[in-house]
Amino acid sequence: MILSSSEATAMAPEMAILVGILLAILVPNLGDAKARIPLTSFKFPILWGGTRFEITSDPRAPGIISTVSLAVACILSLYAIESSEGKTISGVMEITGFGRFMSMVFTAALAITAAASIYRIPSTKITVDDAKDADERITLSLMDNRRQVDLHILLMMVALGMSLMALSTNLFFLIVCLELASMASYVLVGFHKESRIGGEAGVKYFIVGSIASATGIYGMSLLYLWAGSLDFAGLSASWAAMDTLDPLAGIGVGLMLVAFGFKVSAAPFHFAAPDAYSGTNAPIAGMLATASKAMGFVAMMRVLVGFAAPNEAVTAWAPALGVLAIITMTWGNLAALSSENPKRMLAYSSVAHAGYMLAALAALGSGLADSNTQDLLQMAIVFHLSVLVLFKMGAFLVLTLLEMEGTGRSISDMNGLARRDPIIASSMFVFMLSLAGIPPLSGFLSKFLMINGLVTTTTDTGAVTATNAMSWLQSVDPYFLLALAIVLNSALSLFYYLRIGLLMFFEEPVSDSSLPKAPLLRVAILVSMVLTVLFGLGPASEWLLSLVETAISTF
Amino acid sequence: MSFTGPLSIITLVPLLSGLILLVLPNVLPSDISARMKASVRNVAIGLSSAIFLLTTLIFVGTIGQIDWLSIGMGDYVLETEDPVWLIESIGVTWHLGTDALSFPMIWLTTLLIPISMLVQWDAKDGHSFHSLLLIMEGALIGVFVSLDLFVFYIFWELTLVPMFFLIMIWGGEDRKYASMKFFIYTFTASVLMLVGILVMYFNTVADPNYAGTLTGHHFNLVLMTEQSRVDGLITSEGLRHFVWLLLLIGFATKMPSVPVHTWLPDAHVQAPTAGSMLLAGVMLKMGAYGFLRIAVAMFPESTLTFVPLLVFLGMASLVYGAVVCLGQTNLKRMVAYSSVSHMGLIFLGIATMQPLGFAGALFMMFAHGIISPLLFAVAGSFKHHYHTLEIGSMRGIAHHSPFLAGHMMLGWMGSLGLPLLAGFVAEVAIMIAFWMTFGWWVLLPALTLIFTALYYLTSMQKMIFESDDPHKGKLPDTMHDEEPRDVTWHENAGMFVLGALTILFGILPFIFWDMMSAWSTEFVQTYLVHAMNMLEVSP
Repeated sequence: MILSSSEATAMAPEMAILVGILLAILVPNLGDAKARIPLTSFKFPILWGGTRFEITSDPRAPGIISTVSLAVACILSLYAIESSEGKTISGVMEITGFGRFMSMVFTAALAITAAASIYRIPSTKITVDDAKDADERITLSLMDNRRQVDLHILLMMVALGMSLMALSTNLFFLIVCLELASMASYVLVGFHKESRIGGEAGVKYFIVGSIASATGIYGMSLLYLWAGSLDFAGLSASWAAMDTLDPLAGIGVGLMLVAFGFKVSAAPFHFAAPDAYSGTNAPIAGMLATASKAMGFVAMMRVLVGFAAPNEAVTAWAPALGVLAIITMTWGNLAALSSENPKRMLAYSSVAHAGYMLAALAALGSGLADSNTQDLLQMAIVFHLSVLVLFKMGAFLVLTLLEMEGTGRSISDMNGLARRDPIIASSMFVFMLSLAGIPPLSGFLSKFLMINGLVTTTTDTGAVTATNAMSWLQSVDPYFLLALAIVLNSALSLFYYLRIGLLMFFEEPVSDSSLPKAPLLRVAILVSMVLTVLFGLGPASEWLLSLVETAISTF
Repeated sequence: MSFTGPLSIITLVPLLSGLILLVLPNVLPSDISARMKASVRNVAIGLSSAIFLLTTLIFVGTIGQIDWLSIGMGDYVLETEDPVWLIESIGVTWHLGTDALSFPMIWLTTLLIPISMLVQWDAKDGHSFHSLLLIMEGALIGVFVSLDLFVFYIFWELTLVPMFFLIMIWGGEDRKYASMKFFIYTFTASVLMLVGILVMYFNTVADPNYAGTLTGHHFNLVLMTEQSRVDGLITSEGLRHFVWLLLLIGFATKMPSVPVHTWLPDAHVQAPTAGSMLLAGVMLKMGAYGFLRIAVAMFPESTLTFVPLLVFLGMASLVYGAVVCLGQTNLKRMVAYSSVSHMGLIFLGIATMQPLGFAGALFMMFAHGIISPLLFAVAGSFKHHYHTLEIGSMRGIAHHSPFLAGHMMLGWMGSLGLPLLAGFVAEVAIMIAFWMTFGWWVLLPALTLIFTALYYLTSMQKMIFESDDPHKGKLPDTMHDEEPRDVTWHENAGMFVLGALTILFGILPFIFWDMMSAWSTEFVQTYLVHAMNMLEVSP
C-alpha cells in the first residue's frame, strides 16, 4: 500500500476528488455492451461500451458527478479543520488545519464552478442517428457528453492540485502540485475552442503562465543551491541563520515571487489575466479569480511567511512587495474604471484585490508587527480569500446567466437587469457593494481586518502625535501609507462598482426576455448573496473568523 | 435587555415586518397574495400607529419611568446594558439608548410614518409602498437609537435604500435622474464619513467589556465620547481637524448645507408626497443629529476652531436658500429650498456655542420636522388635485379648495416663523443666542428672515387669494376643465394632525423644550467649556 488506512482517512477530501475523477471517466462509458462466452452463444452484459444508456450519455451527468464529489470534498475538509493534528505523509505533506481550510475554500470555489459549467456548456441531446452524412456523424458524436467529461475532469484535477498544494511542506512538491492545477487551468481557459477569443485567451494564458512557472522553478533551483534542501524546515533554518542577505537566496525568493505573482495577478505580471478572463467562459473566469488566486496567495505565504520571514538581520522583500502592492491596486482600479467588458472589469478588480492582500503581506514582512498582529494580518488575507469565493464568484455566476443568453460581452448588457430579473440584479448589486467594501457585507469585514492589521503594525511609529501634515508625513511609517492606499483605492473602486448598479437599475433593458431558467445556478447565486451578507455581521461571521483563526494557528 | 428592550422593538419590528410584508405577496400563491396585498396598508398603518403609541408611552413615563429633564449629555436612558455582540472580533455591539437629543427625533419619526401613510393612503402598488415606509421607519429609528458607530453607519446607509426606491418607483417624470443624484451624493458623502469613523475607531483604547477580541478597539459611541472628554479621542490636532472635516462633509451633505445641497431640490420635486415628507421631516435631521452626536461631542476643540466655517455655511445656506426661493415658480422646489434655508439656521444655532443656541437648534430640528412635512403634504395634494406645481398657474385656491387653502396658510405661516407657531420658538432662541455670541451681526440672519416672509407671502397671495373672478378663481390649464375638488379625507386628516401639532408646540413648546434645554446646558458646560478653557477662548 502506498498510503496506510489512517493516512487515507486524513486525505479523505483528496480521495473524494479522486473518486470523482474515476467516476467521471467510467460512468459516461457505461452502455449495454455484452460479451459472449467463448464457444457458446451465451452473452452477458459487461456494461462497458456499446450504446450508452440514457442516463450515462446525459450531458449533465459529468457535471453532476464533479459537483457532488467536489462538494463532498468541501464538506470533508470543513470537518477536518478542527480535528487534523498535523499528520505527516510521505515527508512532503502535512495535514494541518490551515491546509484543510484552504482545501475547503478551493473545493467550494470549484464546486460552484462545476455546477455553473453544467449550464455554460450545454449540449443539445442529439444522437448519432440524426446525422445526414458521415462528416456530420463525426461532428455530432462530439456533441454528446464527452466534452463535458473533459471539462469536469480538468476541474477536478485543478481541485486536486490546489488541495495537495495547501498541504505540502516541501517546495518542490508545492511547485509540482501548483503546476498540476495550472496546467489543467490553461486548458480550461482555452476550452471554448470554437470562438476565436477563447483559443487566443488559452494560448496567451498558457505562454505567459509557463514562462512565469519556469522563472519560479529557476528560483527554486537557486534556493536549492543555497540551502541544499527544499524542505520548508530546512529552508527556514538556513534563512534564520543568515547574517546578511545571501544573493542566491534573495534572487531565488524574488524569482519565485514572479511565478506566484502571476497566479495572484499582481502587477506587472497581470497582463494575461484580463485577456484570459474575458476570453474564457464566466465560471472558469470565476475560478481563476477565486481559487487560482487563493492558490497563488497560499504559495506566496508558504514561501514568504513560511521560511523567508524577516529575521533581525534580513527584511528583504517587504519594501518591494509594498511598492508592488500599491502599483497593483492602483493599476487594477484605474484599468477597471475604463473597462467596457464586465469580465475585464472584474479581472482588473481582481488585480486590485490582489493588491490589497499584497499590502497585508508586505506588512507581515516589515518585521514591525508583533505576533498577534501577524496572526491578524494572516487571518485578514485568508478570510478575504475565503469570502471572495462568495462575492467574486457570485458576480461571475451572474455573468454566466447573461452568457447563457448570448450576451455579457459588453457592460451595456447589464442595462435594465433590475427590470428583467430583480432578484438577480439585487444579488449582483450586493456582490458589487461587497467587492467595494461597504459595511456590513463580508467584503468590508475582510478589508477592515487588513486595514486594522496595517494600522496596528505601524501604530507606534509616531503618526498619532504629529500636529500638522508635514510633520505627520515625516513621522509616519511608510507601511502606514499602505493602509491609506487601500482606503483611497476603495474609494476609487466605488465608481466602477456602483456604475454596474446604476446600469442595472436605471437604464432601459436591451431586451424584455427573461433570463434563462438554470435553477441550480440561481440557487448558487442566491446562496452566495445570503452568505455574503451573513459573513459580514453576526454569528456567522464570528464562526468563519474563528475557523480562520484555528487555521492560522496551525500555519 | 438584548433584542427585546423597547428601543430594539421600535427599531426591529417595523424593519422586519416591512421586509416580510414586502416579500410575502410576491412568493405566495396569487389568490392569497391578492387578498394580502389589499390588507397590507391596514397592517402597516396599524403597526406604525402602535409603535407611535409605544414611543408616546415611553415619553410620558409609563414605560421605563424616565425623568427626561434629568438627562444630561452623556447619560442615556433605556440603554442596553451587557454587550450584545454582533461581531466580537472587531468590537461591534448592538448598543441602543436615547437621550434628549435623539428622543424627540424618534418620536417625530414614529409620528410622521403613520401620517405619511395616511396622506398617500391611495398610493399605486400600495402593498409595496406602505411596506417600504415601514422599512424606512425601522432604518430611521435605528439611526437615532444606535450608540455603536458601526450599527449607526449601517442604519445610516440603510435609510438610502427604501428612499431610493420610493423616488425611483413612485416619483415624478424626472425620477431616474433625481434618485440617481440623491443616491450618489449621499452615498459618497457617507463613505467619507465612514473613513472618519474608522480613524476614530483606531484611536479608541481597549475597553475590558467592549473591545474587539482581535483588534482591541471598539465602536462604542458612549465610551468614545467619554474618552474624548477625558483625554481627547485623537491626540494629534491635525488628524482631529481632518476627521472633523470628513464628518462635516458626511453630515452637511445630508442636512444639506450649501454647497452640497443640490441633490435636495431634485429629490424633493420628484419624490412622492410621503417620501418628501420623510425626507424633509426626518432624513435631513439625521445630518444635524449626527453632527451634534459625533462631530461636536467628540471633537469640541475642532468645532470651536471651525466656528467661522460653521457660521459661513449656515449664513450661506440661509441666504442662498431664501434668495433662490424668491425666484421659484415650482411649489415643491420652493419648499425644498426653504428647507435648505432653515437647516442653515441649525448650523448657526450650533455655531453660537450657547446652551440657548443648541436648544434652539434642537427645537428647530423638531419644529421643522413637523412643519415641513405639512408643507410637502400641501404641495403633494396640490399636485394631486391640480396636476401641476407651478405657482403662477392658478389663482384663488381659497374659493375651490378651502381646506387645502387653510392647511397651506397654516404651514406657510409656521414656516416663516409666526409667533405662537412651532417655528417661531426655535428661530427666536437661535437669534438671541446669536446675538449673545456675535453681537449685532445678528442683523444678518434676522434680516434674511424678511426674505423668507417675502417669498411665502407672495406665493400665498398669488395662489390662495388673488383672483379675477372672486367666485371661481383661475384654474390651471392642466386641469382640462375638470371640476375643482377639495382634498381627500385622508390627506385632510394627515394635514390636520400636523397643523394641530404646529399650533400645539407653538403654544406649549415646553413639552420638548425643557429637556432639550437641560441637555444643551449640560452639554455646553461639561464638553464645550472644557474645550474653551483648553483653547483659551471665552464663550
